[in-house]
Amino acid sequence: MLSRRGWWRWLGMVLVLSSMLALLGCGRGDAEGLVVLDWSGYEQEVFWADFKAKHPDVPVEWTFFADDSEAYAKLQSGFKADLVHPNVSWLEIMVENDMLQPIDTSKLSNWGGIMEPLAKMGQVDGVQYLVPWEWGYDSILVRTDKVAEVPDSWADLWDPQYAGHVSILDSAEAAVVAASLALGYDPYALTDAQLASVKQKLIELKPNLLGYWSDYTEINQQIASGEVWVGANCWPDAYVAVAAAGVPVEYITPQEGRIAWVYGYAIPKGSANADLAHDYIDALISVESMAEMANQYGYGAANAEVAELTDPQLVELFNLDQPEVLSQSVFFQSLSEAQRAAWTQLWDEVKASQ
Amino acid sequence: MNTRGRLWVLIGPPAIVLLAFFVLPMINMGSFSLRQGSFGAARQLWTIEHYRAFAANEAFQRLLLRSTWLALATSLLTVILAYPVAYHLAFKAGGRRMTLMMLLLVPAWTSFLLRILAWKLILGSEGLFSVALQALGLMQEPRPILLYTPTAVVVALVYSWLPFVALPIFAALQRIDVRLLEAAADLGCPPWRAFVRVTLPLSVPGVAAGFFFVFIPTLGEWVTPALVGGADGVMYGNIIQDQFARALNWPMGSLMSLVMLAAMLGLLGLLVGLARLLRLDLEVV
Repeated sequence: MLSRRGWWRWLGMVLVLSSMLALLGCGRGDAEGLVVLDWSGYEQEVFWADFKAKHPDVPVEWTFFADDSEAYAKLQSGFKADLVHPNVSWLEIMVENDMLQPIDTSKLSNWGGIMEPLAKMGQVDGVQYLVPWEWGYDSILVRTDKVAEVPDSWADLWDPQYAGHVSILDSAEAAVVAASLALGYDPYALTDAQLASVKQKLIELKPNLLGYWSDYTEINQQIASGEVWVGANCWPDAYVAVAAAGVPVEYITPQEGRIAWVYGYAIPKGSANADLAHDYIDALISVESMAEMANQYGYGAANAEVAELTDPQLVELFNLDQPEVLSQSVFFQSLSEAQRAAWTQLWDEVKASQ
Repeated sequence: MNTRGRLWVLIGPPAIVLLAFFVLPMINMGSFSLRQGSFGAARQLWTIEHYRAFAANEAFQRLLLRSTWLALATSLLTVILAYPVAYHLAFKAGGRRMTLMMLLLVPAWTSFLLRILAWKLILGSEGLFSVALQALGLMQEPRPILLYTPTAVVVALVYSWLPFVALPIFAALQRIDVRLLEAAADLGCPPWRAFVRVTLPLSVPGVAAGFFFVFIPTLGEWVTPALVGGADGVMYGNIIQDQFARALNWPMGSLMSLVMLAAMLGLLGLLVGLARLLRLDLEVV
């Protein structure tokens, strides 16, 4: 039996131990370096060379995420980052929850080159919270040598001739939008009945699926090895990487349109290094950095001048010189928290069903 | 120091670790499952709506059932495969015992992830099986064999757990007094019967330890299914992970974890009860 005194001693020990742990936790993340919460692939020094030149002594640290919601959850649960790289479709929800600080565009020497319509997407109620960096697509990447017929619509993902060789991005947002397009619905005006048929439609995709892909190296390998013939919701970089390896692939424009996205950098509320973060963003949005990104990944840049410095083949394939194509594509739009919850719940139920 | 003080010094640190990293998080998880949302104001609101949602969600319940079967199959297979290995090590290996044991254990020192990924190479479309089957003319096209199916999950897990199950069984077998087997032989018992009546019952504690050692982590497994499971190999653990990282529904994730824990405790209780009924001694000495 535990005596009363023993109990208090116990409690004391637990308290001492937990406060020690808490102190250990505080030690990290204070001032000296810059912490960037980013997708992997963006840490290359060529992208932020100007920052390195200006602040050679400031160490930059990355924490990677593989899904926007992961970054959101990290920030919400107290992760201290100085920069985050979200889809603009997440911007509103982040601002609503008071997670970002406004950007002072006067601190960005390269701000003038950012195209007006893209800059606007980084605003909430007229305040700039995000600096757009790159835009691109979710579309279908096809192994032309493996398929008898190259698919030409989102609905073709369900075609039994591809059975067992389709892989789709493991993302509720991407899957719901793709299935809505295949069904001819407007993904951002779905009725409850339509949402139910989207779910049914996604369950019906399972016989065709090899699996769900969750990072770009995974889908690149699966397409290169020939295990996947039809990669759904692939980004342009998958095409660039796989085609460069000599694999016969085509990045199609589905009849219903490509899905499109814009990403950019924002500064979380908790950052104590906002000035450094502005300098980092300024380095990223220089024409040279953006051209590097456009050539490596086949994404569009937020600065119109970059297209001239980009491989003409990529420019033609992805219409990188005409960001107005974005308005013809199906955009990932802002979702309310309730909508997001409904979509992700739906997607989890699809994955759980058999 | 008196006896009591010494006792506290001994059990104090592990007790604190257990309290700080097991008991408190469990309480935290229980309380989280009763919140409305994961962040901000919604986290402060109490509700049982997630319990209702789970009770109504047949897809999740069926997935838990399927994952339980998968975990049971994995544990049983591992035990069946590990037993002869342990038996050989304990009774037949003689002077080569250390060498064989090393061969068994050394692969387990490499990263778990690496060993799972290696299966991707073996089962993949340019992997060992696919190439061999093509060379034999049994298959025309390079195709993944088993990869991206629930079977691949079982295969990869059985492989990675095997050494960890062989060890406790080996330990149990080694403790068996050989004179008991000699006595059985003297009394005219054929070897197979001595195995069934003497060796097997006496090794039950090792078998049980190995079985639970595999079953418990496998039920919550999500890395292996994510890597080799494909669309049909999704396990309950993947959906729990999704609830936290993607759906941002921490209350549902907590609730699903608690349900899994309850299911596991229930099943373990059932197995222990069954063992008692069969008068098997589970005590690991």
